[in-house]
Amino acid sequence: MSAHLLLAAALLAPLLHASLVYVLPKPPGLRDVIHIGFSVALAGVAFAIVGAVSHGAYARIVIARPLPHVDLAFSIEPLGALMAAAMAGLGVVHAVHTSGMARAQQDQAPHRLMAMIALASGMAMAAAFSANLFTFFVASQALALVTFPLAAHGGDEEAHRRARAYLAPLLVASVGLLLPAMVWTYARAGTLEFHPGGVLAGRVDPIAANVLLLLFVFGIASAAVPPLHRWLTNSSEAGYSALVSIQATAVLPIGVMGLIKISAYVLGPVLREAQIAERILLVLAAVSMCVAALIALSKQDLRERLAYSVLAQSMAAVIGALLALPAGLFAAALQLVALMCAASTLMMAAGVTYAATGRRDAWEYAGLGRLMPWTFAAFALGAASLVGMPPFSGAWAKLWLITASSDAGLPWAAALAGLAAVLTFAHLGPLTANAIAAPAPPDAFKRADGASILLVAPVVLSGLATLLLLVIADPLSRFLGPLWGVTP
Amino acid sequence: MQPWLDLARIHAPLLIIVTPLAAAALAVLGPGGRFAWIVASLGALISAVLSVDLAWRMLERDAPQPDVLEGVALDVNGVAVFCATVLACAGVPVLFATGAMLRRDVRPRAAPLAMALLSCAIAAWIAALFAADLSSILVAVETAWLCGVAFLAIAAEQDRGALSAALRMLITGGVAAALMLLGVGFVERGLGASDLEALDDVSIAAPRLAGVGAGLMLVALTMKAGLAPLQVWVGPAFGRASAGAALVLAVLGVIGALAVMTRVGVAAVGAPVIGDGVAAALAAIAVFTVAIGSIQAVGASNVRRMAAYASVAQAGCALIGVALGSPAGLAATLVQILAQMAAMLALFGGATAIEGKAPMSALDGLSKRAPLASATMTFGALSMMGAPLMTGFLARWRLIEAGVGGGWWWTAAAMIGASLAAVVYGGRMIERLYFRRATQAIEQGGDLWRLVRVPALIFAVAVLAWGVEPSLLLRAADAAAQLDLGEGS
Repeated sequence: MSAHLLLAAALLAPLLHASLVYVLPKPPGLRDVIHIGFSVALAGVAFAIVGAVSHGAYARIVIARPLPHVDLAFSIEPLGALMAAAMAGLGVVHAVHTSGMARAQQDQAPHRLMAMIALASGMAMAAAFSANLFTFFVASQALALVTFPLAAHGGDEEAHRRARAYLAPLLVASVGLLLPAMVWTYARAGTLEFHPGGVLAGRVDPIAANVLLLLFVFGIASAAVPPLHRWLTNSSEAGYSALVSIQATAVLPIGVMGLIKISAYVLGPVLREAQIAERILLVLAAVSMCVAALIALSKQDLRERLAYSVLAQSMAAVIGALLALPAGLFAAALQLVALMCAASTLMMAAGVTYAATGRRDAWEYAGLGRLMPWTFAAFALGAASLVGMPPFSGAWAKLWLITASSDAGLPWAAALAGLAAVLTFAHLGPLTANAIAAPAPPDAFKRADGASILLVAPVVLSGLATLLLLVIADPLSRFLGPLWGVTP
Repeated sequence: MQPWLDLARIHAPLLIIVTPLAAAALAVLGPGGRFAWIVASLGALISAVLSVDLAWRMLERDAPQPDVLEGVALDVNGVAVFCATVLACAGVPVLFATGAMLRRDVRPRAAPLAMALLSCAIAAWIAALFAADLSSILVAVETAWLCGVAFLAIAAEQDRGALSAALRMLITGGVAAALMLLGVGFVERGLGASDLEALDDVSIAAPRLAGVGAGLMLVALTMKAGLAPLQVWVGPAFGRASAGAALVLAVLGVIGALAVMTRVGVAAVGAPVIGDGVAAALAAIAVFTVAIGSIQAVGASNVRRMAAYASVAQAGCALIGVALGSPAGLAATLVQILAQMAAMLALFGGATAIEGKAPMSALDGLSKRAPLASATMTFGALSMMGAPLMTGFLARWRLIEAGVGGGWWWTAAAMIGASLAAVVYGGRMIERLYFRRATQAIEQGGDLWRLVRVPALIFAVAVLAWGVEPSLLLRAADAAAQLDLGEGS
């Protein structure tokens, strides 16, 4: 299959997936087969694209030209291909998990949930393969809109209020900050194409560079750089399946990926000219990383704790993207993939625990590992990766981040990354240890047979994925080379 | 056949105006409401075909329109060609949909008169765009306005509230007419000429007088277009009007007045000596309109009022391009006028699915009962928000580009402010349509006649979706701007 066909398939398959799941809600078995089958197919296509990119293939699909010299276009390049593969790979285990959760929780409209997850996956693919800033803007706005029903999936007025609080910052920042940044970039560069080396290189003065950097970083609110992180914490009361999409496999990763792409393909060397804004943002991200990890410690509801934990880890990727160094960009990409694997594992494990035992709070987890050993083994893997313990994937990302920070002459950023890792350990380590080592609680399960294989297997597979980066870190650095032009 | 077509093309501007007028006369003289509906719709269709042909020849093929003696002074300018096409094309689905809706809104005997008034309103707004001298513009504008008021009054015969809204429109229009008359007199006296074109190529004899006159004309048009702070008739008229009358007012009345204001504004901003002052005044009105319209739309508790205030805010955006006085600004304004027309057609056309009073709660769960109307309203709201790939986004982008290019950085803030407000009120509307359950029983026309609104809704969606591949639209807008302001767009 040619690269063009693969790209078209990656963009269209989720739309077909969503349509079929929505129009064929019954029988549940058929619905689940469609949901899982399309997810597997998408993962196959995404990995085939990675293979094609590694062999130097290139493809570009232009849908429309809505502005002079600006196309609605998609293309394959290493970072987008890597993100698509990670999202689609995790999408398979997420699909199985969603099917299990829908059955375990007797969801009233599982077909709608699955269709929206598929649409979110499609929009995330579109954002990952966006060939220019305009396409990324369109895809990320569409992603925010299609995840609104996911955030509101509870159905009551309170769920709608939360969903509005989730959507509002994403749209407002996008229109209020990212759009002006785009117009400005267009005015200066005459194009919005993603181009290695940055389309703005040599086209802006230091003042414009500083303002543009601020507009881009805060305009992509889905990257959750404080104070535009409230959407992330507001989404934490959504259903577990929705949470995985929003925080682990679609919205947040796409936001951070957007920052990496802008750093590499739009700003490029301009980042060095925007030194004031860059330093302010680095301090903000580094401090937020520690504060978020600290706040997570105070949260008992595991969804809230994980939301802050994920926020802290995403800031590490943001720091990497802002360092204006190949090693920083590589650290950011690695951290992002590691975060996706770990966050998916933890959220799905929390979902399984809730479905099987009805327990949500951290203090209620004591001893559950003895009753659900597979789930909590995977939970431990995810937590260790998020903390950055060697040899899990998060450790490599942190190592690269610390190296890049030191290379950039910012040892304090490396120190704060270390502090955040300690704080992450503080809010996940004891919890995991207590779950595994404490005596098992009596009558923990809501049902005598506990959690089904549909629930447990995805968590275990996702947990194992956190080990994968250990093996592929070196090939990955070669694969991502075109992002910055050299191997870091 | 070809000689007749060539003759029609030579006299196209006149025919675009005369055809709806002839249809209006036939409608009144004809046997009944259905005959009037068919004749008026056909008249609007012929006018639309002629205007599209004229626009195609002049703006796309760059073919000049020959000067011919028509008996009335017509000026075939870029704004007129572009906006007349917008009005004439919008007039067809609006007339077609409204004519059928009149079945329940008015007595059968009044239906032909109502259709004739609608045809006259379209013809008069187009005439105001093509009119060469100031007095003709005044006459045409007042004719169009009075037709609108009379249509509202006829459509409101069952509702005293709507009748008093029509009265308020009449009073506002009367004040505006007096101001405009005074303005026309001052401008003619100040210029020593009666043509609008004279504004930009003569050394003005009495610049202050001409400036005051132009200002008075623009204030009068501000009142007619319902722009802030003179939008006193907007809330009551749209809040109380029947669904069909609101559709007519929003798509033909407001857009017509805005188009004429654009034409007068472009001439005044380009005038030596007074141009800068007029530009500053227009910019102030524009910003004020965007702010007030957006705030009122966010706070509105009635669907039609919300859409009307949104229209006010959108019109403010269009005025910014006029105030810029550059070809790029004018081209952006023309795209914005088209986007506003389509958004209003989508919102008010979709809102015809709601009978009677239209509180916001009437939108709850409407997507299940009226999916096409809901989808159309969603398109309209997205375009007003400036969602990518919509005509509204294109207009917003071009306006920001033109503003920033002209050194007016604050225009970007105004546009983004309008978009953010639209995210709030448009988002609230979309949420009600799709994510809420119906909380009240809504009367809904259950007969086949409601299908007549389908062409209007499809037309609106098609225009809004033009943003996906807008090269033809952009070329037309640029060509129209170049016709009026020269190269440099």
